Amino acid sequence: MSSLEVTDLSVRFGGHLAVGGVSLRVDGGRICGLIGPNGAGKTTTFNAICGVITPTSGRVVLDGRDVSKLSTHQRARVGIGRTFQRLEVFSSLTVRDNVRVGLEIRKGWSRRRAPAPAFLAGGADISPVDEVELILQRLQLTELADLPVGSLPTGQARLVELGLALAARPRVLLLDEPASGLDERETVDFGNLLVDLAGAGLGILLVEHDISLVMRVCEHLSVLDFGQVIAAGDPVAIRSNEAVLAAYLGAPAGDDELVGAAAIAEAAGHANGHGPGRGGAS
Amino acid sequence: MDKFLTFTIAGLSTAAIYAIAASGLVVTYTTSGIFNFAHGAFGMLAAFAYWQVNQGWGVPVIPSVILVVFVMAPLFGAVIERGIMRGIEGASEVVKIVVTVSLMVALLGIANVIWPPDVARPVPPFFAGKTVEIAGVAVPYSRILTMAIAIAVAVGLRLVLRRTRLGVAMRAIVDDRALLQLNGGRPGRTAMLAWALGAGLAAVSGVLIASEQTLSAVTLTLLVVNAYAVAVVGRLRSLPGAFLGAVVLGLAESYATGYIDPSYALGPVSLQNLRTAIPAVMLFVVILVQPEARLRAHGVSRPRSPVRPPSQVTAIWGGIALVLVAAAVGSLLSAPDLNLVSKGFGFALITLSLVPLTGYAGQISLAQMTFTGIGALAMATWGATGSPVGVAIAVVLCAVVGAVVALPALRLSGIYLALATAAFALFCTSMVFGQSEVMPGGSIQVPGLSIGGFEVTNDYRQLILFAVTFALLGNLLVLLRRSAWGRRVAAMKDSPVACATLGLNLTSTKVGVFALSAAIAGLGGALAGRTFIADDFGLTNSLPITMLAVVGGIGSVAGAFLGGLLLGAIPIASTIFAANAIGIFRFVSMPVTDVLSFTPGLMGISLGQEPDGAAPQMAAGYRAVGESVPSLVIAGVGGVGLWFATRAGVITKWSFFAALLVFVVAVVPLLPILFAPDTPEGPRPRRAATGIWLALGLLVAAFLPWADRISSNGWRILGIGVFTFLVLRVAIGVMGVVPESLKKVEHPSPDELGLDRPLSRADALDAGRSLGLDEELMPSAVGAGIGGAP
Repeated sequence: MSSLEVTDLSVRFGGHLAVGGVSLRVDGGRICGLIGPNGAGKTTTFNAICGVITPTSGRVVLDGRDVSKLSTHQRARVGIGRTFQRLEVFSSLTVRDNVRVGLEIRKGWSRRRAPAPAFLAGGADISPVDEVELILQRLQLTELADLPVGSLPTGQARLVELGLALAARPRVLLLDEPASGLDERETVDFGNLLVDLAGAGLGILLVEHDISLVMRVCEHLSVLDFGQVIAAGDPVAIRSNEAVLAAYLGAPAGDDELVGAAAIAEAAGHANGHGPGRGGAS
Repeated sequence: MDKFLTFTIAGLSTAAIYAIAASGLVVTYTTSGIFNFAHGAFGMLAAFAYWQVNQGWGVPVIPSVILVVFVMAPLFGAVIERGIMRGIEGASEVVKIVVTVSLMVALLGIANVIWPPDVARPVPPFFAGKTVEIAGVAVPYSRILTMAIAIAVAVGLRLVLRRTRLGVAMRAIVDDRALLQLNGGRPGRTAMLAWALGAGLAAVSGVLIASEQTLSAVTLTLLVVNAYAVAVVGRLRSLPGAFLGAVVLGLAESYATGYIDPSYALGPVSLQNLRTAIPAVMLFVVILVQPEARLRAHGVSRPRSPVRPPSQVTAIWGGIALVLVAAAVGSLLSAPDLNLVSKGFGFALITLSLVPLTGYAGQISLAQMTFTGIGALAMATWGATGSPVGVAIAVVLCAVVGAVVALPALRLSGIYLALATAAFALFCTSMVFGQSEVMPGGSIQVPGLSIGGFEVTNDYRQLILFAVTFALLGNLLVLLRRSAWGRRVAAMKDSPVACATLGLNLTSTKVGVFALSAAIAGLGGALAGRTFIADDFGLTNSLPITMLAVVGGIGSVAGAFLGGLLLGAIPIASTIFAANAIGIFRFVSMPVTDVLSFTPGLMGISLGQEPDGAAPQMAAGYRAVGESVPSLVIAGVGGVGLWFATRAGVITKWSFFAALLVFVVAVVPLLPILFAPDTPEGPRPRRAATGIWLALGLLVAAFLPWADRISSNGWRILGIGVFTFLVLRVAIGVMGVVPESLKKVEHPSPDELGLDRPLSRADALDAGRSLGLDEELMPSAVGAGIGGAP
């Protein structure tokens, strides 16, 4: 099983400390959540982990190998994959070609058959062409395969982005608000997909505002506020954590101000109990 | 010591001018996001306007300066912003660069027409050259004035940017344009003021330079490269950085003038021209030491029209057709025309070099003719007998040089590549093509290719060689575009950051593309088989290549061909129209050749309206022809028939031209509609009537005595053009069906979203995206979750 360890990561923009000493651990087979209010430093943490920005200090270790000095594409090659808060797909290419590009970047020009990743055909030998089709099937994109991605609605384009990332065969996948732009049904399906992927051994770090999704799929949560981890633990513990409620409400929970807290509690309740639900104000 | 002091003061004075020019550049770039390559041309125009007002009309110095710097230049800048730049705000970087480069070329052309360069226009120095003695050195008052103005500009700009509402708005635009608008700011008006300010600063620098040197439109326009070099020190955004850069460049140039003896030489390379190469060298060095650009996630934008790569079969047939048409047309032309057409094909080969770079990868180069020159030199040196070995060396050499030149700039954003290639072009002009050892007498003869018994001995064979090479390379590029490499490059153009996080090494991929592009341009030089002069390889000749390639539609091989032909058509048109003039009433009469000199610039500026170029639109019209067998047969038979008729002397060459134009423009695109099977609901074209009308039009075009009735070539061409247009419009009217390619493309408006069903959150996000709103602003307004607490 692979694991990603982030130790004491800090990012400073001029005088502003965007991320201050964040430590995280993502193990293969588990979905970990990273939540926090807007501007808490979630995306900056992602950027620093995958090398899009250079952190001021801190280490990123993948399976015992320190990757802190590697460039973005080198980190991708050793197994750190990600998606983006604002969709990054190849909008002039078709859905199939998008996934293909992800694969071709990884494999170069090779057409040889190789064992499939666990989440696809369970280790059987497949050719690159098969792999593209399997990924499309897995994400239920086969019917859209020949459409240009630029013509798809956001929800489906999000799936393409995930397909791209999967084609690169990451060991650890960082997902930045993957459910934004999905409707409720799509979000439920997406959550199930994430659980399946993790079940096949992939480590997933999820940044998401849809708290019901987070509560449902994550085994472990870290809460960021002002660039620092203010709480970490399993979702049930986080739900009742004072510091977390304070961070979301801006003040200790009072009598009437429990909208946000109620959102967390309600969402978690839904997640634990009776299927899908979306918390908070509608 | 006196000498040192003299040159220090001279250097500081030059630095002052550069600083003023560069601050104008920085101000417009930061507020509008458009890097104004025409900044030097603004200054040049102001200098000429000053000469006109002061010397031409005899207005005293101070009113002239006020009129030019404070009235004319700001007005001009505002008009340019309003009329041109506003339209390209959201356009790709390539379009932005091409439009301002086109503006520069157009202004240069216009200035040359208004103020012909063959007249000397001295501008007397300010204070009549009086000097004051400082530490034993005579310093002209004008230099002190220049430095004082620079300091005033620095202080003034700082005050404007920090203390006034305008300045705050200008800085706000840089941070977040949409937010400024939401808060009641007016980004449009602010950008206009910024351009007015930028043009005013360009005018100050232009007038100051004019008072020290003789007026030359080209020199003044290209002085902008010095301003680029200076602005790059401040990463194009910082004014103090630009001032620092200006001091370094001004002093370096001045000391080079003072202390490098013109007779010095490094081996065979004379250092006589070193001074002119200093800005280019400095630009390179500064780009080299810049840290790598940060990758940014922008979120995808929807492509205006995804360019489908043609199938290989289409490309092969296209190649064969091109060679056949070239062979047929070439056999009908007289020697001088053949020479021009063959040159036009040569340009098409060089524009083709931009297809992988600009079309596929979205990068830009302003130095394609420089690579052509290097290829030509290599061929002349190592392939003097026309041996293919010379061609091979030329191609490899250009690829290597291209990779080395592009590597530092490719780590940064596209604008730096444009700057670096422009600097490379200027550097090579002075240090390579300007060297008498390299190009004795300033010209070079590229030997005709001789390969396996095929020797290029005349223009007809040269034309065939170009056509075959273009067809082969075009097919190769289509093949590459459809390969894994091509997908990867297209993906990189869409989202660099996604490619990097998938494991693609962006820099090495881009360097590979650039090397390929340089190699093709070099091939164009090695195969040219003609005499070049040093000027052919200069920056001013590379710019039109890039401009017209993009105008033609650089996303496709066909677009490159169109661009090349446009470029080739200008000298042809110049000879044909040599005797014509366009008159507006009787007051202004301009020779057509003058108009043509700035046409490429105007064509480039028009890109703001149609950023994809012309080829995709035309391709849409002809695509249907390829899918309809009877149409293809008629198109082929008709073309061959016309050629035989001309060959056999049945119709004259002008009639051939007229008939061919009618056939290609009016008949062929309508054929698929005439042959389309009837559909129950579709409109029924009036087939017989349309067919008869088209045949009539063709016959009239073929047998009307164009050559005898109309004496001037220019009017004849105009007449044929109008006739063709009429035949097409009437045919469409008779047919009763408007072809798809002529219909306006309707983009669904975001306003219409959700009219047929309730809006979902995804729709809202989609609408936000197409309206250009920031997605991060959306969830709190639309969504739920923790962030949704009111």
